[in-house]
Amino acid sequence: MSSITAPSPAVDPNNPLVPGGRSRRRTELIMLVFAFALVAFAFASVGFSLKGTLPSRTAEYMGAYIVIVLAAHLAMRRFAPWADPLLLPLAALLNGLGIVMMYRLAAQVDPNTGSPVLSASATDIQILFSAVGIACFVAVLAFIRQPRVLQRYTYTFGAIGILLLALPALLPGSISEVPGTGAKIQIRFGTLITFQPEEFAKLALAISFAGYLVAKRDVLALAGRRVLGIDLPRARDLGPILVAWAASLLLLIFESDIGTSAVFMGLFVAMLYIATSRTSWLLLGFIMFVVGAFAASKLVGHVGERFDIWLHPFTGSNPENNAYQLVQGLYGMASGGLLGKGLGGGQPYLTPLVQSDLVVSAFGEELGLAGLMAILLIYGLIVQRGLRTSMLVKDPFSKLLAGGLSFMLALQVFVIVGGVTRLIPLTGITTPFLSQGGSSLVASWILIALLARLSDTARRPPPRSIQEEGLTQVVTLK
Amino acid sequence: MNRALRRISIAVLVMFLLLLINVNYLQGFETASLATEPGNSRAFYAAQNQYERGSIVTSDGETIAASKPSTGSNDSIKYQRYYPGGAAYAPVTGYDTLYSQTGIEAAENSLLSGNDSALDVRKFIDLITGKSTKGATVQVTINSAAQTAAYNALAASGKAGAVVAIDPSTGKILAMASYPSYNPDVLATHDGTQLIKLDNQLLADKSQPLLNRALQGTYPPGSTFKIVTSSALLTQNPGTTINTNVDSPTQLTLTQTSHVLTNDDGEACGNGSGQAPLITAFAQSCDTTFAKIGEDLGASSLNAMATKFGMNNPNLTVPLSVAQSNYTIPASLALTAYSAIGQFDDTVSPLQEAMFSAAIANGGTLMKPYLVQQVTASDLSTVTSTTPSVLSQPVSSSVASDVGKMMLAVVQDSDGTAYSFNQNVVGVEIAGKTGTAQNGVNNSGLDDAAFTCFAPYANPKIAVGVIIQGGGYGATAAAPIAVKVIQAYLKATGNQ
Repeated sequence: MSSITAPSPAVDPNNPLVPGGRSRRRTELIMLVFAFALVAFAFASVGFSLKGTLPSRTAEYMGAYIVIVLAAHLAMRRFAPWADPLLLPLAALLNGLGIVMMYRLAAQVDPNTGSPVLSASATDIQILFSAVGIACFVAVLAFIRQPRVLQRYTYTFGAIGILLLALPALLPGSISEVPGTGAKIQIRFGTLITFQPEEFAKLALAISFAGYLVAKRDVLALAGRRVLGIDLPRARDLGPILVAWAASLLLLIFESDIGTSAVFMGLFVAMLYIATSRTSWLLLGFIMFVVGAFAASKLVGHVGERFDIWLHPFTGSNPENNAYQLVQGLYGMASGGLLGKGLGGGQPYLTPLVQSDLVVSAFGEELGLAGLMAILLIYGLIVQRGLRTSMLVKDPFSKLLAGGLSFMLALQVFVIVGGVTRLIPLTGITTPFLSQGGSSLVASWILIALLARLSDTARRPPPRSIQEEGLTQVVTLK
Repeated sequence: MNRALRRISIAVLVMFLLLLINVNYLQGFETASLATEPGNSRAFYAAQNQYERGSIVTSDGETIAASKPSTGSNDSIKYQRYYPGGAAYAPVTGYDTLYSQTGIEAAENSLLSGNDSALDVRKFIDLITGKSTKGATVQVTINSAAQTAAYNALAASGKAGAVVAIDPSTGKILAMASYPSYNPDVLATHDGTQLIKLDNQLLADKSQPLLNRALQGTYPPGSTFKIVTSSALLTQNPGTTINTNVDSPTQLTLTQTSHVLTNDDGEACGNGSGQAPLITAFAQSCDTTFAKIGEDLGASSLNAMATKFGMNNPNLTVPLSVAQSNYTIPASLALTAYSAIGQFDDTVSPLQEAMFSAAIANGGTLMKPYLVQQVTASDLSTVTSTTPSVLSQPVSSSVASDVGKMMLAVVQDSDGTAYSFNQNVVGVEIAGKTGTAQNGVNNSGLDDAAFTCFAPYANPKIAVGVIIQGGGYGATAAAPIAVKVIQAYLKATGNQ
């Protein structure tokens, strides 16, 4: 037996692709302190602007916020010590800014209606759901110690995802329709509690896609013919993409939810591409979605109207009617200009649904271009950390899941922020962490938990050899 | 898979770059154009709340609109507008609400709000000296005595109508009242819900209190239009004088029809001979006489004269916009006959009624009516002031003198239609013309009462136009109101 001595895996702090030996939890804590400071300043800014003093409840809100975020930090130390140190502070900062905006919208009377856009309890509810979201975050980290565990439930998650997506369409409109929008995307319990199943469906489907594509990726990647320099897949391999396409179109037609439909289709196509590296899937998926959406826009009035609003918001009666919401959001951001009116200084209450779909316009109005760009960069950083995790992680399922989740977050931000700023047609989907609403907040925290778990797996140093060097051959598999 | 992931990362980067570029375009470059979109209430709100809004005062110094600091604790708007002038001055001031403005508040908004570029230098000085900038003060040409008299007289009559008084030599609008009116004070509320409720109530009100009838209402002029017909006759036929006998039958069969036109109550004109001096026919307001004159002159001649008196002008502003007074060329001679006595499709605004008399009083020269005397900045320097200008020359001074004499006869001759307001009764020599216009489908509505006049006859200081909807005879419903305005104005200015 020849004895070949291989060096044990070296820890090279200068090479980012090699897992480092430092857990970086201290960095995370320092970054969290920055997030706390920013949120505290934001609360103070609202208070001084609207009331001329620090409102009494701000300390309680701040306290509750810090406690739940620190709980998440402790869970990270306990269950995912090697996770990326930026994920939690970035998510916590966005969550905090969302809470401040709810507080700000509830604190000012809209002179048009004589009452604020949100009731006084909106801030408490947002903090409550932040706590629920962070509880789910902790639970995911505690119970899912290995991302590959999820792969076992590929078809279970697929079934759950489809069921959650289809549920609102199957229920009567009185339960599932969002009042005044025509979109059937929620399930209402009583008059107060509503649940948006699609927020969780997206996560379940991302996991399911990852499991399925890992199993089938070889056949999807290799079989087929080459036509005009493009590798075309075999007809019988088109099944999955056709199913995803049909599901997204059904979503569009029966639930009038073009935004989620686009995110869903985009997620599937992107994961298919990551799994196969085959550009033809990308082209095929894109063409299928555009054709489907175009056909739907001819068939479903709701979709055609969205395009008209996008292209001609200031024409005819559009500014007062169909495009009112978009146009008010644009006016708000324009009035904010470069530096904004300051939190509490603008009139975001003039924009309908400013607390949910158009929350970005409220930030644009009050924090200005500077603030809005900062928020976009925060999202960009989360996505970048997620994509980096997917590059680092070894196992293909984890790679796909990390890439898919990151891309989904990016796509969701692109669809809603692009819609509000009139880059693309405006469709009603939530802005992760910032919008009012429990389902979105909880689902976003679960997404961060999954990314944290994946990055913990990616950055965890391999177990060190306990044998004496020289006696055993240690082979590193890259 | 990392190669595909890298490509996906690039796609994500492009997505975020697109968002960042778009946001930069929106908030960096597009702000100015979005701020000027008509429906942008944020821009409106910002402009309205930047400075303390200037006051509106009458020519004799009475404040009819002003701003004071808001008192409400939760009020996000710094200043509260209030209207000491109330309903009487509503057609002049208009209102300034959370959402919109009318009247002088709208027409002079940029100066009142302090955003006009004409105030830039003064604002800069305020900035250096540390003074708080205030909007400019707008002084209107309205005389408070004439305005109050006009509104009170309208209100006392209880009928919908309007009064406009003009200084004939300059075109200054001395009074502009409309009834029923509204109190702009209540619309200045900062409670949007309350405002919308009040606004809807006013809009739903059948009596149309928000309508400024003085400028925006148009009504058939009836016999007051005979001023135009006479002017056309005297201008076109220099041989005709006011004492020339003209055909004045008791019954006139209109050309090419079997339709017989009679005078009011079938009365004879003049001595009943079928001929009467023009001045007598004018004073008695014989319809047959002027219908015949109209047929003889022709519609295009009447149209030209009506236009010179200010009718058919879609662009008249004072600077508030004025509804067009119409003379429509009729298709037949019979209808031309009706148009010559202020019926058919003739319509005039109360301002136009006053302009008829103003032109005659001013020797045939019609001055452009205006409402804004001058605008002064908060440092009392004059920003703009209006110089009187000529609108048109409808008739020569000799024709104006002739028509003036005939109008004097209407009031001073014992058989004139407005004799009850002669100098012995009212204390001033008034020259005028009454009008009683049929209206409604098949003339089913109550007659509109009209009166146009100027005074004192020898040295005209004021011309008045009055229209009372459904008032009946011009002499009984409209003339008394004009007389009250004249008396109040002449007394206030020391001319009586």
